[in-house]
Amino acid sequence: MPQSDTFSEHPPLVRLRKVHLSFGSNHVLKCIDLNVRQGGAVSIIGPSGSGKSTILRCINGLLTPDRGEVVVGDTPVHSLRTEAERIALRKRIGFVFQQYNLFPHLTVLQNVVLAPTRILGVERETAEREARELLAKVRLADKDDAYPGQLSGGQQQRVAIARALAMHPQLVLFDEVTSALDPETVGEVLSVIRQLVQDGMTCLLVTHEMRFAEEVSHEIVFTEGGEIVEHGTPRDIFHAPRNPRTHAFINALRN
Amino acid sequence: MPESWLPAFVAAAKSVGLNYGFLLNAFERAAWLNGVAVSVELSLLSIASSLAVGMAVAAALTSGRPWLARPARAFVELMRNTPTLVQIFCAFFVLNMLVSQVVGGPRNNPLTAYAWVVIVLSLHYGAYHAEALRAGIEAVPKAMRESAVSLGFSRRERLLHIELPLAVRFAWPSLTNNMVDLVKATSLGSAVAVGEVTYASLMIWVNGDNVLELMIFVFLVYAVLTLFVAWMGAWVENRLRMPGYGQ
Amino acid sequence: MASEDALILRTSRVVPRISPVVWWIAIVALAWLGLAHFHGNTVATLRVWLPLLASGLWMNILISVLAIGIGTVLGIIVGALELSRMRWVSAPARGYVQAFRNAPMLVLIFFATYVFPFEIQVGSLYLPFPDWIKATIGLALPASAHIAEIFRGAILSIASAQWEASASLGFSRARTLRWVILPQCVKRVLPPWMNLYAMITMSTTLASLVGVTELLEVARIASNTVNRTDFTIFVYLAVLTLFFLYCYPITRFTAHLEQKYAFH
Repeated sequence: MPQSDTFSEHPPLVRLRKVHLSFGSNHVLKCIDLNVRQGGAVSIIGPSGSGKSTILRCINGLLTPDRGEVVVGDTPVHSLRTEAERIALRKRIGFVFQQYNLFPHLTVLQNVVLAPTRILGVERETAEREARELLAKVRLADKDDAYPGQLSGGQQQRVAIARALAMHPQLVLFDEVTSALDPETVGEVLSVIRQLVQDGMTCLLVTHEMRFAEEVSHEIVFTEGGEIVEHGTPRDIFHAPRNPRTHAFINALRN
Repeated sequence: MPESWLPAFVAAAKSVGLNYGFLLNAFERAAWLNGVAVSVELSLLSIASSLAVGMAVAAALTSGRPWLARPARAFVELMRNTPTLVQIFCAFFVLNMLVSQVVGGPRNNPLTAYAWVVIVLSLHYGAYHAEALRAGIEAVPKAMRESAVSLGFSRRERLLHIELPLAVRFAWPSLTNNMVDLVKATSLGSAVAVGEVTYASLMIWVNGDNVLELMIFVFLVYAVLTLFVAWMGAWVENRLRMPGYGQ
Repeated sequence: MASEDALILRTSRVVPRISPVVWWIAIVALAWLGLAHFHGNTVATLRVWLPLLASGLWMNILISVLAIGIGTVLGIIVGALELSRMRWVSAPARGYVQAFRNAPMLVLIFFATYVFPFEIQVGSLYLPFPDWIKATIGLALPASAHIAEIFRGAILSIASAQWEASASLGFSRARTLRWVILPQCVKRVLPPWMNLYAMITMSTTLASLVGVTELLEVARIASNTVNRTDFTIFVYLAVLTLFFLYCYPITRFTAHLEQKYAFH
């Protein structure tokens, strides 16, 4: 269990300050403050509809907050105006979706290679070599010629992780990546993420897998109703929550 | 050069009361075979250009820019709600006349009846293709766009690498149907004396009492052509299949 | 606000349908502009030809209504035969559908015109068999093949579970058909049937090629007789517009029905 204070020396890679966002009359994010340090793994937990996924979408510029600051590295995401600026940002941030969202008309290898060759301009041979290495890393070396539709959910999700890593991101955002999976394939995806965290990749996860979050994260953030109710080390949040709402949420899950 | 089986065929047909004597007349036979060739050429040319028109109009329809989408929509509705033959007449008798006046007389007009038929069929079926492709583009799941956006794709790259390949797959059965209809519609060329197979047959049967016989041949030609297009469509559909996706 | 999301929504949004009112205004305005630009002479010429053009249009409507009527009756019969469990009944019906669906309508009209006799002998009576009726038959044949397909598809699309459910409620086969299956069929059949009617209506212009004096033929004769550029332009555009005004509301209504029934 890594100690969170060993990371406090590093500057935050992702910094959210007083972020507000509403869709019409629906106030989705209310004054969100959040730091993710370089090499850190932060898990956002909380009931559904508490704005967890919205936070991730603000970080890679899929959504722009109404107020507040979102900074990734030295990029002020909240003030990006052009599509080109957002594209430059997204090249640095990997995003893994709940529903995998692989491109169904491309093989596994083509899915992983498409963005590096078309967006980063990497040579095809180099991109394919790296893609095969990544597929080996997610333990799918033999599936490069398969189509997404031929794979199980867990396999597709691992391809989606390889696809995100192929862009050499500074940071990977995981949006409830195990929620759509069969219970027996959840483990294989989680072990890939665990390996990534151990390798020092900065990860921000939205998850319902409490045991996994406790084991792998350096910090846990509990959100409810668009607010951050409490954040702290996994031990604090899961075993000694200070806020009664956190307490109620954790207890409800235990029983 | 009549092959030996030809007289045998004509004789056999005669014994069941069908008069295929024109096949033994070298001139009429060549004219009719030329008609078949023109039908094939007309079909292939119009299919290719109608697909190009369809792509362009579908791009306009889904551009999200009203100044592009609205004229494209009007074009599609006009093309789909007026008879093809009237469109051919409007093109050949009105537009062609105007072009001739502009270039100074029909002699200088480079556009033939054949060209006008290709143009009208391409626009007419291009409108149908565009509708099918628009529906295909709109059927691309929103999640695919979000996924491509997150990987840093620009709008153009997204359209080129993700949305169009998927849209063509979704639209392909409709596109194949449209192409089959287009092949059948090439028979309208006969209305402005384009020498495709219907017209070539017409020219032969007005000189003889062999309407039924030629009619059977014409039906067979269109049956073969439409079956070929449908078969090609199925072959492409199979090539484009995304294993494990959909049904 | 959510700018990127807005961008995604924008690209996926259904292109706004132009309201029919705008269309009508545009058409009336164009017609008015067109009329204003022709000298009085054209208007006078038009007045001479108007009754003939109107009777031509009437001919198109008559042929289309008869063809869809015959086609519907014939099509339902053929469709029912196609559904027969006996192969010697269903196979010829399928052959009929395939043959008439895949043949060009123009060739079928030629076929009806040249192969049928010009009069029919009933006893000692000779009944004339005019070209426009032959053309109607030429259109009714492919119409019946399309309707057979539509009808068959609609019946098959209704889940067999409904037959079972009705049977378990004590409905006889005939009553199931009358009270459960057919009402659902009508909803499924109506939109494609109306599309087919619009297609048949547009195809009635093909009758001009076998000498039936319908709208397009009258327009051609008028254009050749008057032989003036402005009149030619006007008369052909008028034909185009008239067909648009007749068919566009039908397709609009069809699309409306499709949307409405899609949720039931």
